[in-house]
Amino acid sequence: MSTTLTEPNNKPALPRETIRQSMSSRKKTRGNRGGRSLLAKGEPMLWLTGGGLIVAVVMIIALLALVIVQGMVTFWPKHVDQFVLKNGTVHMGEITRDDTYKPEVGVLDSLPAEVQTDIANNEGWAHRELVRTGNFDLTNSHFHWVEDFYIESRSQPQWATVIERNAWGRFYGMPKAFMIDGKVVADTPEGTWAEFLKHHDQVRERWHVRRALEKHDIGYESRKIDDARLELKSAKIEHGVDSPQYRDAQTNYDAVDAEVNVAYGKIREKINALNAENDKYQLVMVTTQGQEKQLGLADVVRAYQPNQIGFGSKLGIYVSRWWEFLTDEPREANSEGGVFPAIFGTVAMTLIMSLMVVPFGVLASLYLREYAKAGPMISAVRIAINNLAGVPSIVFGVFGLGFFCYVVGGTIDEVFFKASLPNPTFGTGGLLWAALTLALLTLPVVIVSTEEALAAVPGSMREGSYGCGASKWQTIRRIVLPRAMPGVMTGAILAMARGAGEVAPLMLVGAVKLAPELPIDGVYPFLHAQRSFMHLGFHVYDLGFQSQNAEAAKPMVFTTTLLLIMIVAFLNLFAIWLRARLRRKFVSSQF
Amino acid sequence: MSKIRSIVSAVLAVVLVSAPAFAQVSVDSNLPDYTPVQGVTGNIKSVGSDTMNNMMTLWAEGFKTMYPNVQVEIEGKGSSTAPPALISATSNFGPMSRSTKSKEDDAFEKRFGYKPTQLPTSIDMLAVYVNKDNPIEGMSFPQVDAIFSKGRKLGFASEINKWGETGLTGAWANAPISLYGRNSASGTYGYFKKHALGKGDFRDSVKEQPGSSAVVQGVASDKYGIGYSGIGYKTADVKAIALSKDQGGKLIPATPEYAYSGDYPLSRFLWLTVNYKPGSELEPLRKEFIKYIFSKQGQLDVVKDGYYPITAPIAKKALASVNIH
Repeated sequence: MSTTLTEPNNKPALPRETIRQSMSSRKKTRGNRGGRSLLAKGEPMLWLTGGGLIVAVVMIIALLALVIVQGMVTFWPKHVDQFVLKNGTVHMGEITRDDTYKPEVGVLDSLPAEVQTDIANNEGWAHRELVRTGNFDLTNSHFHWVEDFYIESRSQPQWATVIERNAWGRFYGMPKAFMIDGKVVADTPEGTWAEFLKHHDQVRERWHVRRALEKHDIGYESRKIDDARLELKSAKIEHGVDSPQYRDAQTNYDAVDAEVNVAYGKIREKINALNAENDKYQLVMVTTQGQEKQLGLADVVRAYQPNQIGFGSKLGIYVSRWWEFLTDEPREANSEGGVFPAIFGTVAMTLIMSLMVVPFGVLASLYLREYAKAGPMISAVRIAINNLAGVPSIVFGVFGLGFFCYVVGGTIDEVFFKASLPNPTFGTGGLLWAALTLALLTLPVVIVSTEEALAAVPGSMREGSYGCGASKWQTIRRIVLPRAMPGVMTGAILAMARGAGEVAPLMLVGAVKLAPELPIDGVYPFLHAQRSFMHLGFHVYDLGFQSQNAEAAKPMVFTTTLLLIMIVAFLNLFAIWLRARLRRKFVSSQF
Repeated sequence: MSKIRSIVSAVLAVVLVSAPAFAQVSVDSNLPDYTPVQGVTGNIKSVGSDTMNNMMTLWAEGFKTMYPNVQVEIEGKGSSTAPPALISATSNFGPMSRSTKSKEDDAFEKRFGYKPTQLPTSIDMLAVYVNKDNPIEGMSFPQVDAIFSKGRKLGFASEINKWGETGLTGAWANAPISLYGRNSASGTYGYFKKHALGKGDFRDSVKEQPGSSAVVQGVASDKYGIGYSGIGYKTADVKAIALSKDQGGKLIPATPEYAYSGDYPLSRFLWLTVNYKPGSELEPLRKEFIKYIFSKQGQLDVVKDGYYPITAPIAKKALASVNIH
């Protein structure tokens, strides 16, 4: 390059043959040939465009790599370090991150002379590590900074145990004893651990049975009584308290109430039996500070000794944590457990949105492109649609809240759900309103891409169709639309990607912090479009900005982001696959 | 409403000052145990404080283990969102990190004919956080005011823009102070403005964050940062400094014993606002949920979230104010 630039630019143009030849062996001759401006050859533009692409690709890859690397390592079990400090305090936990820093003057002065010289030799820098010490119920903090110059000794105790619990976050300690029914059956770490492994699966199994009983069986009974109560209330509103209808409803309610109470009693009995059985098994742990803690085995989600186990076991824990993350409900104010309701909510919302936006968008663009006569009116409509794409998404959220939730939903409540007022049914944010709001938001994308696809269908095909005697709609239905289908799908893909990643408007129209009830379930009418839902994008926001245990939530932010990206990618791949199929169909139907 | 508040404050003053200092936060053993009853169903919909967001979630989770079919939806975007949601009946609980303003009371009364009822659920200390490496021990309110506000209503002599002006030396002397705060829908914003700034306005240079945790994270990553947020959001990366009400007064550290003794100048109740018609009986769902909050289990959730539980007498008063005995 540089040689070309410095060479004089006054040689006569080379004959055509030479240029062609030099093009074919470009690399060798470029520097010597010269005589033509770089701009004329277009090479700077090549570099510029190529460079632009590279910058874009690097940025995307760097962002993805950050999310993937951070998201993937979150669940990998780390070893546990024990630090004995010079002042006698002991900390034990997983090292989260480390940091080099310059200790403040006041801190430096308090250190022994040799440490001071060490730090001075290091140009004033010292090193410290953030240790996740857990045991929040005993110490009121989740993390501790440990400065290198305060450490007396560090070790990795063989029996250091990490326990993930149903409540209170992680526990770090050593196994001390195992009790069944109040009697100590093991009091060495080895024995305790053997007992733990022997009983833990059974106890957790019982715990799951109990949860299923609570969720499904009790839920079923209470829905019965709920329905009866609503009927009673409707009878009161419609016919008054003195009417025979109300008396019938009252009798019915009393009967249901009695029946449900009996059923409740039976289920409670079962639950209590399971609880009593589970409560027999207690694990006694001791922390490095010497505090003892008795843990019910049923509350232990997962426990392991990271300093003992090999790669295979670690991989097992890693996989089981991912599995929990993908399939379980969140616990501890969303900072632990899984995100299944959020995954479900995201996918359900995106699919419902697509089902609404694609047909509407296609119909609108069919009218614009096929039926309407070009004129100022149509141009104005087009401009308006394009402008719609530029409206901030939060404005759509406000519109959705004001129009869908309050006006439409409020009216629906007045008419159909009078009995449950003042508790709103449709008159508040929910899956349906969120999907409709995002459908509005993504409508321009679908209309624009469908219009372009329709425009790309050659006019001769339409004319051929008319020539065969087809009507306008028949032509559109049989000739134009099938050929425009891949373009429509492109629009749908873009709309889905946009919709799944959008958070701001959802915060107003139905995405909430906690809503473990899925909007689609096995209870009539199966699709509960009025329910609030959890959304992965909102979950990321919540973990990032509102979590109480911010340090522990940070890695979960990356993991959840990774999951959201994967879901969007998966939805897109599905749509692309569908488009490819449609294209093939279209090609094979040609002569 | 104001009557309940004054009773509660009086009780706080009497009971807590006389109570022994708590070293480790623990739940009052005189609080009732919660025992589930039958026939509780429905939808708990809570809209309100972001400070109490996690606590509401913990309560709801605890409540759901007893009533698995109760449906729960929790939104926390700021205390100011609580009264409108209660008025429009889009929620049945309004957690708030401040008491209701008279304007809000009036709007509520206009719609229902009575004022909303606020129950003190737990105690929070609004802490002023600095980065963990910051050597500062404490500050007086006038100093805090001179750092955060435009007008210096508490009468500090000059604006404080550099850490040196708070008395730090060395590398800190010329370091500019970087401010973090909450957005104006937040009850924490209003409470801090009222108490620590003497109702003065915040400076424009305060970086407004969308959540309590975001303030703490901002200060954690900014060596010269300072911000305010609930004590429940403290992490290992920040330090809650001691505060004194007057210039030169005794600095009170942000530890539980001073919250209970009432000495810490920014300790406050976290309220649960409900639509309760005086003299009536709450329907089972809300009644049981409130009972749960004021039980041992509910107060254990408070500890779990890093706040401080209330004592049995306060709980009793609070329950009595909604006709639960």
